[in-house]
Amino acid sequence: MKTFSTMLKTEIKLSLRGIDMFIFAICMPIVVLVVLGIIYGTNPAFIDADYTFLEQSFGAIATIAICAGGVMGLPLVISDYRSKHILKRFKVTPVKPTIILLVQVTIYALYSLVSLITLFTVATAFFNFRMQGSIYQFILGWLLVMISIFSIGMMVGGISKNSKVAGIIASLLYFPMLIFSGATLPYEVMPSAMQKIVDILPLTQGIKILKSATLGLPVANAILPIIIMIVITIICSIIAIKFFKWE
Amino acid sequence: MHDIIKVENLSKSYGQLKAVTNLSFNVKKGTVFGLLGANGAGKSTTIECILGTKPMESGTVSILGSNPKANRKELFQKVGVQFQEANYQENIRVGELCEVTSSLYKNATDYRTLLKKFGIADKSKTLVKELSGGQKQRLFIILALIPNPEVVFLDELTTGLDARARRDVWQILKELKGQGLTILLTSHFMDEVEKLCDEICILKKGNSVFYGTVEDAIAVSPYDKFEEAYLWYTDEEVSENENI
Repeated sequence: MKTFSTMLKTEIKLSLRGIDMFIFAICMPIVVLVVLGIIYGTNPAFIDADYTFLEQSFGAIATIAICAGGVMGLPLVISDYRSKHILKRFKVTPVKPTIILLVQVTIYALYSLVSLITLFTVATAFFNFRMQGSIYQFILGWLLVMISIFSIGMMVGGISKNSKVAGIIASLLYFPMLIFSGATLPYEVMPSAMQKIVDILPLTQGIKILKSATLGLPVANAILPIIIMIVITIICSIIAIKFFKWE
Repeated sequence: MHDIIKVENLSKSYGQLKAVTNLSFNVKKGTVFGLLGANGAGKSTTIECILGTKPMESGTVSILGSNPKANRKELFQKVGVQFQEANYQENIRVGELCEVTSSLYKNATDYRTLLKKFGIADKSKTLVKELSGGQKQRLFIILALIPNPEVVFLDELTTGLDARARRDVWQILKELKGQGLTILLTSHFMDEVEKLCDEICILKKGNSVFYGTVEDAIAVSPYDKFEEAYLWYTDEEVSENENI
């Protein structure tokens, strides 16, 4: 426990010293929230809708930090620590290298949580945001999306040959998901042909779960996305554990 | 328990290349053992096979009476390791690296004392990457000593250190040896080996070409200086002449 807390404290400092996660996981979601808030104000999502456009988008914006940490931060830090032989150094100490992976997962989960709380606060304070559905369902959905996206990141970081490969794959996953899954550009304003294409992205499915929970829509609406996210989690975790390269 | 490190018939190859062949040696408690040889002779591979970070093909190894692979959790409470390449996080400070390293062990020494002893106490807030080569090397020796180990592995102990710092490091290691610490080191400096090592093993292309004390190494060779004897064992003098 002493090891974990000391390491967590140090790795958080290192991560904040790197500043990029602070920008992409904490600042960027707020910027997107405020921009959407200014454009759409507190208008209803569509004529006669009983929820606002921003309420419809809240779940999506809450995944920006998950996406940044999961498919950008995690793979990069894992492949970096492997190529610097930091993971190897742990092999000649009493603790296993898995502890530093656990610390990293915790850090990105914390970024996602801080982002969620700031978004909730800003949206409630300035844009009349109300969670229409059950907060518990939202949290469960948010956890599922996080675990699922993080498992993708663990897989990419774990099996990439080197930091360069990890960086390329991370970019290929991060930017399309950030722009086209609905996290920044709202899914609802996309033409329906485009919606069909972006449905392929795992994050698009995750966002559907969170949207449904925020708006209090029937759980049946989200059943398919939930199954997809669980399957992704299982597949990626198995691949990550089975093929993880420590050196 | 008299032999702290026991290596029997250790072999390891990378594809066709035989890195280490049938190597055996023992290191007694409270002694310094030097693993010598040119670059690529198999020193680092040997250390990694002993520590279990590289799988060996055949042979047996024990440290402090136990198998490093099976008993790593308890064993590495008492073993300090300094690898040749530096492995630390990009933006980590000296104090932070020491603090994290301390947190891995039950009976860690106070790292501030070690920083003072090695003359880099004022660098605690400095980024590790901004240290000079010699300061870095001293830090990595400190990291190996933080666990309060019974045995340390030091790969290329004083590479990058200036003459003064090397002597300081020797002095500290001699003190620790006096307190019962067992040391396995690799080095390219024969003066250092003569000063520190009780026993040595000279490797040439993965084969042991000499195993014994420094005095014996000189006595068996046609030379009366250790450095010349060493070169005679490893044939470096010949190959150097060929290059010219």
